[in-house]
Amino acid sequence: MSSGTPSSTITLTSSDGVDVTVERQVAERSVLIKNMLEDLGDSGEAIPVPNVNEAVLKKVIEWCTHHKLDPPSAGDDDDSRRKTTDIDEWDQKFMQVDQEMLFEIILAANYLDIKALLDVGCKTVANMIKGKSPEEIRKTFNIQNDFTPEEEDQIRRENEWAEDR
Amino acid sequence: MTPQTTLRRQRPRTATNPPTAPSIPWSHHQGSSCGLNLDVDASLCDEQEQTLVEVFNKECVLEEKDHTVPPPPRRRGAAKSFSHLRHPVGGLRALGRRLSVSIRHKSSSKHAAHEEGTTGHRRNVSGNGGDSHSPWCREPSINRRPSLNSVSALHSFYAPTTLITAPIPGRGLEQPPILPNSLSAGAAARAAAAAQNELARAERHAAKVAEQRVALDSESGIGIDLRDRSELSVLSLSLSLVSPANSLDPVAYLPSEVMAQVLAYLDPDSLMRAELVSSAWRDQASSHHVWRHVFRQAHGRHRASATATKKKQSSGLGKTMPNQDWKKMFLVRRALEYRWKEGKAAAIYLNGHQDSVYCAQFDEDKIITGSRDRTIRVWDAHYPWACRKIIGPSPGNSSSAGPMNNPAQQSTGKAPFLTISPPSSAPDEAEPFELPGAENYHSASILCLQFDDEILVTGSSDYTCIVYDVRNDYRPIRRLQGHRAGVLDVCFDDRYIVSCSKDSTICVWDRQTGALVKKLLGHEGPVNAVQLRGDLIVSASGDGVAKLWNITSGTCVKEFPSKDRGLACIEFSEDARTILTGGNDKVIYQFDANTGDLVQELEGHEGLVRSLHLDSLNGRIVSGSYDMSVKVFDVNTGALSINLPGWTTSWMLSVKSDYRRIVATSQDSRAVIMDFGYGLDGIELLEEW
Repeated sequence: MSSGTPSSTITLTSSDGVDVTVERQVAERSVLIKNMLEDLGDSGEAIPVPNVNEAVLKKVIEWCTHHKLDPPSAGDDDDSRRKTTDIDEWDQKFMQVDQEMLFEIILAANYLDIKALLDVGCKTVANMIKGKSPEEIRKTFNIQNDFTPEEEDQIRRENEWAEDR
Repeated sequence: MTPQTTLRRQRPRTATNPPTAPSIPWSHHQGSSCGLNLDVDASLCDEQEQTLVEVFNKECVLEEKDHTVPPPPRRRGAAKSFSHLRHPVGGLRALGRRLSVSIRHKSSSKHAAHEEGTTGHRRNVSGNGGDSHSPWCREPSINRRPSLNSVSALHSFYAPTTLITAPIPGRGLEQPPILPNSLSAGAAARAAAAAQNELARAERHAAKVAEQRVALDSESGIGIDLRDRSELSVLSLSLSLVSPANSLDPVAYLPSEVMAQVLAYLDPDSLMRAELVSSAWRDQASSHHVWRHVFRQAHGRHRASATATKKKQSSGLGKTMPNQDWKKMFLVRRALEYRWKEGKAAAIYLNGHQDSVYCAQFDEDKIITGSRDRTIRVWDAHYPWACRKIIGPSPGNSSSAGPMNNPAQQSTGKAPFLTISPPSSAPDEAEPFELPGAENYHSASILCLQFDDEILVTGSSDYTCIVYDVRNDYRPIRRLQGHRAGVLDVCFDDRYIVSCSKDSTICVWDRQTGALVKKLLGHEGPVNAVQLRGDLIVSASGDGVAKLWNITSGTCVKEFPSKDRGLACIEFSEDARTILTGGNDKVIYQFDANTGDLVQELEGHEGLVRSLHLDSLNGRIVSGSYDMSVKVFDVNTGALSINLPGWTTSWMLSVKSDYRRIVATSQDSRAVIMDFGYGLDGIELLEEW
């Protein structure tokens, strides 16, 4: 598929009915859209993105625009992708949004199959968890501790089992 | 030529700690079957060299890595300040969505089931009302096209269209949006206007919305903690104009496969802390899926094919099967690492050989040893470590049950925390080897051996090698004849068998046919050790030089001289970049195979370094010495990490290690398993077969 030749822009319709026009190359960061365009051809009609609202869609497009020239993710090796939680500076700034938007971006990336964005999102959440105590994690995400002290003890014992011997 | 270790250099450590070696009866080992021939007439001895050694030492101490502190968790404060403009708008937009949906539902369908759209947590909402936002409904979107006219289409498509404009209350679905959808301009103004519009409304609807939320959660079927939701009441969202911290539980918000990806980015300790957050988190954070990644991250994964020459050893990654308890495996692995760090191992003695045990190799299933008593023994690697087979002339069963270890020596290092010494056991009915002619056995000491899944190759003082069929009860396949003196070491890969000899030559044989492919000439003394990686061979000689050879050309490519005296052993890293040698200089030399540079010297032994084993997977260099100790060095820093002196009563002749144990053989006719995994609950989970 020679991207960009038939028509260099396409229109996406967000879940809340807003049409957004983007460069085809940008939209094709989404494997879902790319496959759809390849399978159905570009009819010029707007492509509905029923799971993503306008605000999130724009955010996703912003990311795709910035990363449109990225080489396709080199190794699809699961493990190498997981090696590091480093995030490049632009992406870090990009991900400085409230939690709902962050999670929505992750969901959208998952739905639209934009692996690199999903990775960045997951890393961002992982970094919010990393190195924190359980109580700090609870605070971060406003979670109630539903363990009894006994249960908590039990889990601690299981996990510290290793160091005791 | 005598193996006696005359000290040519006064090293401080030998001066302070006199070697006990002289008390060891070794005299009968002089001569043709001593298993190791060291040329001792090198005579370099100057002070400069010694200072050089010390400089190296300092360097390797300094090289110790300091662990970098993990990056601080993302500061929410920073995020706030960055998005302070967008945030209130986002909050309001969310608010608007909720409210307008409830309004819409009220006006269009006075249904009780219209709550779906009223919270920000649009999870698993399906069916009527059609929350178009649910990310999990991936159904084709055709019925959401604006061109469809059905009522359901209105619900699922048109209705949301109004959401975005919700800050200005809409009376009906068809009412055109009053605010532009774009947030790119005038956001603050719109936010303010919207806030005014909606705050009053929000208050009016707060109670109702709260009720609806309960209804939503109870039907969501995903175990959302209701308490979390209460924090997200409409009012608190309105207040987020001031404080934008609307926290959400990602475990509840994100589907489990995505959350698993998040958790897989965590280090093990963070992950274990995450388990303590809540029961929903525990379910996620303790899943096998997540821990499989953690385990592989920490310890690697099974490699597709082990074509490496001698790596028939287990990496301790467990069997390949579904539903493994990866977390338990990780914990066992961690307990095991801790044992290694502490130098805490059990000693299991293999009794049976009648004389010095020169060589050994093992895998998860068996240990094979070769001895001066001319036999090869195959031992069970598990309790009760029985001798399964004796290859060689039937021995007279006169097991000498002498002392097992040397407590006097052990005061300076790690003694076994437990000692097991099963009585010498001959295999059931030590079946006479078929064709009991001498030609099936070695007629002298077994000096070296290597095995893989198919063959066992041994080298002997009788000048020959014998290839045995491992899969056919160790029947001899052929004898390799060509050396004119004892075969001191042997190794092989898929193509070649390489042997080296006291006759100062190295022979390269075809593994399949047994034909002599090449003879490498160049060493000026006995060749004590060889290793093979692809087309490269390294060899160590009693003349004090290690050589790197190219098999194809048959020529020596590089030389790696010792500083003073003869070399006894050599290791070649799997990536063929590092060469380790040991010998009568009592240090272990580490060379860069490409540049030929001496990278560092590992010090600690007080006698000749007789045997080396490099376990690059676990970052360990294991050495056995005539000082009767086995030592473990850290590959990266070169630091001595474990000292295991006196586990037998004489010289250490051969050492090998894997993820959980070291097998060392001694001149005192025993092999000892130094088992760091002994008695660890679940250690069997790490076994690979």
